[in-house]
Amino acid sequence: MVKWHKSGSPWIWLTSGAVSISLIAVLGLLGLIAWRGLIYFWPATIYQFDVQRSDGQIEQVIGEIYDSELIPAQQLRDKGVAVASDITDVKSLLVKTGNREFVELDFRWLLQPTITKQLIPLDLAVFERLKNGNFYGYIDSVTVDGQSFSGDVAKLMPLLEESIARANDLNDAADALQNGDISAINYQLEKMRLQQRRLELDNLFSDEKRQALQQSRDELTAKYLILEKKLFTFRDATKRDFVTVRDMRGELVPLNISNILDANLPNQMGIFSKFAHWLSAMGSFVIDDPREANTEGGVFPAIFGTIFMVMLMAVIVTPFGVVAAIYMHEYAQKGIVIKFIRIAVINLAGVPSVVYGVFGLGFFVYILGGSIDDLFYPEASPSPVFGSPGVLWSALTLAILTLPVVIVSTEEGLSRIPMALRQGSLALGATKAETLWKIVVPMASPAIMTGLILAVARAAGEVAPLMLVGVVKMAPSLPLDTNFPFLHLERKFMHLGFHIYDVGFQSPNVEAARPLVFASSFLLVTVIIGLNMTAIGIRNHLREKYRSLEH
Amino acid sequence: MINLDPINLDPLQHSKPKFDLANLSDADTSFSIEQLNLFYGDKQALKDVSMRIPKGQVTAFIGPSGCGKSTLLRCLNRMNDLIDNCHIKGKILLDQHDIFDRSVDVATLRRRVGMVFQRPNPFPKSIYENVVYGLRLQGVRDRRQLDQAVEESLRGAALWNEVKDRLHDNALGLSGGQQQRLVIARAIAIEPEVLLLDEPTSALDPISTLVIEELITELKDKFTVVIVTHNMQQAARVSDNTAFMYMGELIEYSDTNTLFTTPTTKQTEDYITGRYG
Repeated sequence: MVKWHKSGSPWIWLTSGAVSISLIAVLGLLGLIAWRGLIYFWPATIYQFDVQRSDGQIEQVIGEIYDSELIPAQQLRDKGVAVASDITDVKSLLVKTGNREFVELDFRWLLQPTITKQLIPLDLAVFERLKNGNFYGYIDSVTVDGQSFSGDVAKLMPLLEESIARANDLNDAADALQNGDISAINYQLEKMRLQQRRLELDNLFSDEKRQALQQSRDELTAKYLILEKKLFTFRDATKRDFVTVRDMRGELVPLNISNILDANLPNQMGIFSKFAHWLSAMGSFVIDDPREANTEGGVFPAIFGTIFMVMLMAVIVTPFGVVAAIYMHEYAQKGIVIKFIRIAVINLAGVPSVVYGVFGLGFFVYILGGSIDDLFYPEASPSPVFGSPGVLWSALTLAILTLPVVIVSTEEGLSRIPMALRQGSLALGATKAETLWKIVVPMASPAIMTGLILAVARAAGEVAPLMLVGVVKMAPSLPLDTNFPFLHLERKFMHLGFHIYDVGFQSPNVEAARPLVFASSFLLVTVIIGLNMTAIGIRNHLREKYRSLEH
Repeated sequence: MINLDPINLDPLQHSKPKFDLANLSDADTSFSIEQLNLFYGDKQALKDVSMRIPKGQVTAFIGPSGCGKSTLLRCLNRMNDLIDNCHIKGKILLDQHDIFDRSVDVATLRRRVGMVFQRPNPFPKSIYENVVYGLRLQGVRDRRQLDQAVEESLRGAALWNEVKDRLHDNALGLSGGQQQRLVIARAIAIEPEVLLLDEPTSALDPISTLVIEELITELKDKFTVVIVTHNMQQAARVSDNTAFMYMGELIEYSDTNTLFTTPTTKQTEDYITGRYG
């Protein structure tokens, strides 16, 4: 035993054990999130249950099995449910029944003993809808352009799919019109209103200008009316067809095709069509806008907002951090002051992030943004432009938050550049600044990138300060669009981290949102890993270029 | 390729001194050091050093470790400025102008007084970029002028034939001896008046050392060379004049032949006969 101890083996076991535990924890976490997030998109089997109600009647329930749980029988007996005395635990199923507008809750618990029959009917259909979530039922008839078709599901499906494709195309065209030309006109009209207001404030609003403005406004309004008409024709045209479905209550429900995104028969699907469906569902999760208070649809604006904000932050924090580090390491006189500053910088990294949020709100949004509004946007008053939370302020706040990381790693990098190289450059008649920019900083760039990687990792995962300085549940437009000047840094934005919090804890329908939480988390982790991998790739490239440090 | 001509290796047969070091005229003087005292904090590293370094010759500083020979060399292009607590009393005149004068621009001085360090320190750039680094700093953009300077300097440093086909490869891929010659090429590319060599061969193998020594004797046709070395044979082989330093003081300074054959002080004799050092 003593010999074993002396050999150093226990130490090796201890250290490797620590590494293994960390690895297992990380992989387990990622695995769980990935599994729970990705399985959500897999087309689930739909069951039809016959359930005996407490009054003895049989009720039909149609839906997906979402979860199951063992409930102690005693608990049920206390509630007055009749359970045989020899049973200790009762299995209970959570079923997603959809059809939100016709039932109180689209999720319900079914006790296993009350289920008298459980079927997997092949022609059960799922409708994914724009509003009110999924609808489950049997297709009774399809009405296309006033003509009604009924009969075999296999014959109705192609008809239905064609009709849905047409409606989706029309909806897409209408959306494109609304978000493109019409929003551009609205943007211009708003610009004109501000222009007029500005002229009025400066007392320069002459009759001539009034006429010119009025004329262009009239032109735009005329254009708008034409576009609006076109939009309404699109919207009306989508309402042409509908499908009649027999739901679990046995009633026939007409569903308008314009409200249906997709219809399929999951119980008939083979593994390959399920896989294809899974892929397309994941794709639309990534590229679609959210619907229904974020509980349905995609998360594209949140992904875009996260990446955009982090990149903006990186662009801001890198020059500041690098310049600060260069001053501290190269120019400042070594002494008590610089030591104090260094300690202060390191301690800044330990300040809770929400404190930065409060600072950002107080300083950037109110003081800085407020002043900008007073100076440059008096015409918009009283509504703020930069004087309210926005993506620029978020990026700035996170830049301050991550500044210490960049400073510390840049300084580390600078101190690793061999003195011999600096002297070599100085001896050739270079000034200190020339030596810095031509030799030292390029060679320290891998370390700067390391700092940036850490900064990006920290910033992408930060949510608390953003809630104060720019993140919203639902942003009407992205900070980047086709309206001049294209970049709208004053706009609020969506963020994956906040999306997770919002969907998971602020949602009216917690059960429906739970898988979305996992899916969004998985996506957030993927985005952060993606950003980091890019930065690491650049760093490794730089390292290769300035290999001399390993000498 | 390496010239192993025995004459070059024999100190006694070395070229005769051109100048009388004690009465050197201003026109023949490159550096004139007057009463130089140098302190690192409280510690005095150079004590009352006075000497004149002749133009167009190789002058060697020898002496045991810590005797101040490298410190003296670094004074000549003000490399000691980089050390925080170093302060200097006395004068160093380069062509009759005090290099410590406030009007002197250090970068300009260093352009006139090039330096090669103990360990090869090529920049992590291509061979070409290393050589033109100093020229680019001076704002030379003309491609032809740069190409020409690269060829001339590399030829001057006896490296051209070895690297002419891979000028754009990374300089760190060269061997130690090649790197040191590249650093010399880099230094002579900006055509300095004086070249300071701080133990240029101490990190190199014997063959590379020979090549560099060969090079030094060629360099003196164009530049004044000042070399610090640990190796007495090297000083004897390459230098015209030798200064022996001990404990921050200049003990003896004369032409190399005299110093090695008939040293006037006991300390010098002890050192060159290997009794201490």
